[in-house]
Amino acid sequence: MNEERAKRWDNTKLSIRVFLANRTALVGLIIVLIYVADALIMQFDPGLLGITQVNTLVPNFTNPVPLPPSWAHPFGTTFPGVDLYTSILKAIRIDLFYSILVVAVGAVAGAVIGVVSATVGGLLDETVMRITDIFFSIPYLILALAIGFILGRSLMYMSLALALVWWPLYARYTRSQTLSTKEFTYVEAAKASGVSRTRIMFRHILPNALPPVFIQISLDLGSIMVIFSTLAFIGFIANAKVPELGYLTSLGLNYVQTAPWAVIFPGVAITVFALAVNLLGDGLRDVIDPRRRS
Amino acid sequence: MIIAARRLTKEFEIKANSAFGKPLRLRAVDSVDIQVGEGQIVGVVGESGSGKSTLGRTLLGLLSPSAGTVLFDIPDDVLREYDGFRRDGDAKGAASIEMEYSIFKKKGEKLKKIRSGMNMVFQDPYSSLDPRMNVMSIITEPLLAMNYMKPDKAVDRCMELLEEVGLPRDFAYRYPHELSGGQKQRVALARGMATLPKFLVLDEPTSALDVSVQAQILSLLRKIREKYHIGMVIITHNIAVISYMADQVNVMYAGKIVESGPKEDVILNPVHPYTIALISAVPGKMVKPNRIILKGDTPNLINPPQGCVFHPRCPMAFGICGWTADEIATDLKYLVNDKFAGSFNDKAVVSTGAGGSLVINNASAGDEGVLERIINEEKGNMKSLTAIEGLERHGTNIELKIKGYRVPKMYNHDGRKVSCLLYAGDDNKA
Amino acid sequence: MEYTLNVSNLKEQFYTRRGIYKALNGVDILLRKGEILGIAGESGCGKTTLGLTIIGLLPRNAVVTDGEILLDGKDLIATLREFASKEANNPNLRHSENIMKKLNKQLINVRGSRISMVFQDPMTSLNPVLRIGYQIAETLMVHQPEVLAKRRLARSKVKDDDLREALKLLENGADEQSIKAFAETRQLEGIEEQLLNIWRRNDLGIARKEKMILSLRSERLGGFDMAVLQRVVSQGRIDGWMRIPGLNRMSKAVLIKEGNTKAVELLSSLEIPNPEEVVKMYPHELSGGMRQRIIIAIALANNPELVIMDEPTSALDVTVQAQILDLLKHLKQRFNTSFILISHDLSVLAEVCDRIGIMYAGRIVEVATVDAIFNKPLHPYTTMLISAVPTIKGGEIQGIGGAVPDMRFPPSGCMFHPRCPYVMDKCRENNPQMKYVEDEHLVACYLYEGQKGEQN
Repeated sequence: MNEERAKRWDNTKLSIRVFLANRTALVGLIIVLIYVADALIMQFDPGLLGITQVNTLVPNFTNPVPLPPSWAHPFGTTFPGVDLYTSILKAIRIDLFYSILVVAVGAVAGAVIGVVSATVGGLLDETVMRITDIFFSIPYLILALAIGFILGRSLMYMSLALALVWWPLYARYTRSQTLSTKEFTYVEAAKASGVSRTRIMFRHILPNALPPVFIQISLDLGSIMVIFSTLAFIGFIANAKVPELGYLTSLGLNYVQTAPWAVIFPGVAITVFALAVNLLGDGLRDVIDPRRRS
Repeated sequence: MIIAARRLTKEFEIKANSAFGKPLRLRAVDSVDIQVGEGQIVGVVGESGSGKSTLGRTLLGLLSPSAGTVLFDIPDDVLREYDGFRRDGDAKGAASIEMEYSIFKKKGEKLKKIRSGMNMVFQDPYSSLDPRMNVMSIITEPLLAMNYMKPDKAVDRCMELLEEVGLPRDFAYRYPHELSGGQKQRVALARGMATLPKFLVLDEPTSALDVSVQAQILSLLRKIREKYHIGMVIITHNIAVISYMADQVNVMYAGKIVESGPKEDVILNPVHPYTIALISAVPGKMVKPNRIILKGDTPNLINPPQGCVFHPRCPMAFGICGWTADEIATDLKYLVNDKFAGSFNDKAVVSTGAGGSLVINNASAGDEGVLERIINEEKGNMKSLTAIEGLERHGTNIELKIKGYRVPKMYNHDGRKVSCLLYAGDDNKA
Repeated sequence: MEYTLNVSNLKEQFYTRRGIYKALNGVDILLRKGEILGIAGESGCGKTTLGLTIIGLLPRNAVVTDGEILLDGKDLIATLREFASKEANNPNLRHSENIMKKLNKQLINVRGSRISMVFQDPMTSLNPVLRIGYQIAETLMVHQPEVLAKRRLARSKVKDDDLREALKLLENGADEQSIKAFAETRQLEGIEEQLLNIWRRNDLGIARKEKMILSLRSERLGGFDMAVLQRVVSQGRIDGWMRIPGLNRMSKAVLIKEGNTKAVELLSSLEIPNPEEVVKMYPHELSGGMRQRIIIAIALANNPELVIMDEPTSALDVTVQAQILDLLKHLKQRFNTSFILISHDLSVLAEVCDRIGIMYAGRIVEVATVDAIFNKPLHPYTTMLISAVPTIKGGEIQGIGGAVPDMRFPPSGCMFHPRCPYVMDKCRENNPQMKYVEDEHLVACYLYEGQKGEQN
C-alpha cells in the first residue's frame, strides 16, 4: 500500500507542476486567495483590519459628497460619505458568500437533475431537457428580476432567484458529460464483468464525468458575482445599508463625472475577481486534461 | 457446447431522415448460427460493418437480440434435441430447452452465475480500462461484483492473475496511463479470466498493438486456452491472426455468416467468392498473380441488396443472385452511352419503370442484335448482364426481361457450410 | 544514381514536461527517382516524426539538432538547424514558434507542389464543407495557376480542324512527345494534356472519346476572364491587380472552374468511377477507400517529386486496402514521382515497395530490397520483427522480448542491445554505423562488421 501512496503523491506532484506551468493561472489563484482571505478575516476577526460594523455601510452625512483618495480614505469616499476602502473589504465577504451559495445550490441541483436525466433517459430526460430549454430562452437577468420581485427584494431571495436561473446550465452540462462517459468501453467492460448498474454509475461514470463539471462550476463563480452585483446595481436591494459591490457602484453613479473613483474602485473589485476566477479555471482544466499532462 | 447461438438476429433502430418518417432498421446481425465447444477457439472474421462486434456482444448478452437465442453450457445431445425441435417446428419443446439454457431467460442470482462464466476482452486497451482505477481494482472488479470471492481473497487472486498474464506483482498499484499498450491488454485479459470463465469473447484483442507485442499476447492466449480450456470467440479483421489462433472460422459479410468451417478448409481452400477475395486481398511478399480485387464497398445495411447481399461486388455472380433493374440499368447506361456510344442510336436512353421493368427508349431498327451481341460480350465483366433473360421490342422501345432471384441458405459443401447459390446444387438441407 | 531526397544524420528532440524525448537519432535516407521506399517500424520508433520532419510540419516543442534534408540538392531545414545551434540546450517555446512560422513561409512553395503528404485517416483529411472538385482545384490553383490558365486559353482558341487532326494523330498511336509538338506548333499549349487524358481513359469507348475531344473546340471566354488568364500565363502566378479584394475573387473563379475540369481528368486517371459526379460530392458522401483515393489525387495533383504516405491503408478494410495498393502500383508506373511509404505493417510494404527501411528507436537500422529483407534479413531486429508477424499459413510466431526503450533515457550504444539475443560488449558502448554488406543491403549492426565495411 505504501507504493500506492507514493504513486498518488507522484500524481499530485505532476498535477501541481502542470498547474504552475501556467503562469496566468497562478496569478488567478493568488488573487482568488486574497479575496478569500479577506472574506475570512471579515467573518472571524474584522478588527484585524480595523473594521467594526461588518454588515452595514457607515455613512457620514456631514460630508456626503465623494472625496478623492487620500491617506485617510485610500480609495476615496462615495455618497453619502462612505469610505470606499473599508466598504469594499466588507462587500467582498458578502459577494463571495452569496456567489458561492448560488453556485453551490444551482450546481448541486443541476448536477443531480442532469445525472438522473441521463441515467433514466426516455420521457423524463426529454421533459427535463425541454424545461431547461424554456429557461434558456428567457434572458437570465429578466428571469431573475421577475422571480426576485415575486419573492421579495432581499439578498437571500436574490441568490435564490439566481440559483433558479442557473441550474439548467449545470443540468445540461452534467447530462452531456454523463452520456459521453457512458459510451466509453470501460463501462461496457464493467457490464461484461457483471457489475451492477448502480455500481457502474458510482464507480465508473460519475468519477469520470464530474471533474469537468467542477471546473465549469469554478469558472462560473466569477460570472455569478458579476450578475449578482448587476442585480444589486439596478436596485434589487431594498436595504440601503448593505455593503455590496454592485450597490456601492450604484451609489457613486450620480457623481461619475466629478468623482470617477467612486465607480471605478468597486467596479474594478468585481472585474478583477471575475478575471482571476477565469484564469484559475484555465489552469485547473490543464490539470485534468490528460493531453496537457504529457 | 459452451455457447450455441441459433438464428441470432440483432437490429438497431436509427432515427428517420425526416421528422415524421418511420425509424429505419439496420440489421447488423442476420440469423447467425454459431457454436463454441469447450476449449475451442472460434474465429469470426469480417470487415468493418460486417456485424462481427455486434455478434460478440449479443453472444454475451450485452445486447439483447431482436430474434433468436443464445444457449449457454448446453450438453451436445440437448442441443441436438433442440435443433430437432426447431426443424420440426415444435415450439413448445424448443421453448422448454430455452427456458433452461438461454442466457436471456435468466434473472437475479442465476444470471450472476452465468455472468461469472463468461467475459469479454475489448479491442482498445486504452479505453477499456477505467483511468481512475488502479490495476488491482480493475482486476478484482468482476470477482467482487459477482460475489465470486471475498475481498481479502480477491487480492491474492489478483496477484495470481498478474503472474498468469506475465506482469510483475507491483503492477497492481499502477494506473492504466502508466502502462504500455501490451501491458494494458494483459491487464484486460487478467480481468477477463478473473472468474475462470468457460467462455471468453475477444474483440480484436491485438489490433491496437504492435506486431512484436501482438505475438506475445497471442501466444499468451494460446497458453491460457491450453491450461484452462476456456472456449473463445476471437473477432478480428486480421485473417492471419485467425489462422494462427482459431480451430473453426466463420467469415461474416454484411451481418451474415457466408462461410463457416474448420480453419484448414476455410482459410487454405475457401469456396465462397467473398472468402476467396478476402484471403487473396491479404497483403504479403508473395505477389499473387490471380489476386481478386473487389469493386466497391461494403453495402449499406439499412437498405441491403436483395437476394445475396454480396452479389453487387461478387466476381462470380450469375443470373439469379438478386439483380435489380436499377443495378442492371447503371451498367447498361455505361455500355450504351459511353463504351459503345457509336454502335447505337444517339438518342437511345436506358430507363427503369415501376415494377422493376427495364427499357431502352428510342432504339433504332438494328439495335436489338447489337445489344444482344454486346451483352454476350460483356457478360464476363459485368455480372449484372447475366440476369437479362431476353429482349422484346415494342415499337421504338426494347424491353429487357430480368430473371427471378433466390436467397442463398447455408449449404454443406466440402466439409464446411457456405452461403452461396453456386453450391446450392448439393443442397443437403443444412 | 540520381537521388530525389537525401536525408543524412537527422536528429530531432521533443522538449516536454516529462523530459527530452530523442525522437530521431541520426536517420539516413537516400531516395532514388521514381522509387517507392518503405519505412517500417513499431509505434514510437519515430517513423511518423520522420515523415513530418521531411515536409516541415513540426510541433513547436521539436528541435532538429543535427542533420540535413536535401530535396534535389536544396536544403530544406537549414533554418531549424541554425536555431538549434543557437538555443541548443534551452529552447524557448516562443522563439521556437517564430522559427516554425519562418519555416512555414520558406516551405510554402515546396509543400503540396514538390513534396506532399497523405495521412492515415481519410475521414479527417478532407474539408467536410467543400466539394471534392473545389478541394482539388484549390491545390492546383495555388501551386500551378499558369498551367490551368494555359489549358483554358487553349480551349478557347482550338478549332475543329485542329482537333480532328489531333484525333488522327492519336488514332495512329502518337506518343506524348508528338502530341506536345503538335500543340506547340499550333500555339495551343495546354491542350495536349487534355487530349491525352481523355484518350487514355479506359472506361470509355472510342466513339465517346472522339465526341469528348471534339467538344473541346472554341469554348467561349469572357473579356475579363481572358485578361485574367493572359496575365496569369505571362506572370506565372496570381499577382498585381488580381490581388485586390473583390477582383481577386472574380479572377480566381475562372481558374477554379478550370481546376474542376482538371480534377475530373485526374480522378479518372486514378480509376475512380464516375469522376464527373464525384467532383460535385462532399466528402461525407464517399466511402473511406474513395476518400483515400481523393486524398492521393490531391497529393499527386501538382506532379510532386516526393509523396510521403503515412499509413495510407491502416484505417481501411482488407479488400479496400487491396484496391489502394493496386492503385499505388499503377501510379508508380504512370507518375514520375518518388514515394516514401510509412507503415507498421511489413506485408503492406512488401506489396508495393522497391526497398524497405527498418526503423528502431529513431534510427534506420537496415535498408534493403524487399526480397532481401524477407529472405535474408541481417539485423537481429528485422529478423525478429518478421518472425513476429502471423501469416495465413498459420506457422509459429515469436514475440520480441522486452519493450521499446523510453526515448527520454535511450540505452547506450546500439539502442537494440537490451533486447538483442546476439548482444556483445561493444554493442553496449558504441552505436554501429550503417554499412554496405552487399550492393543493395545496408545494415547497422556489429555482427556484420568484417564484411565489405565501406561506409555509406
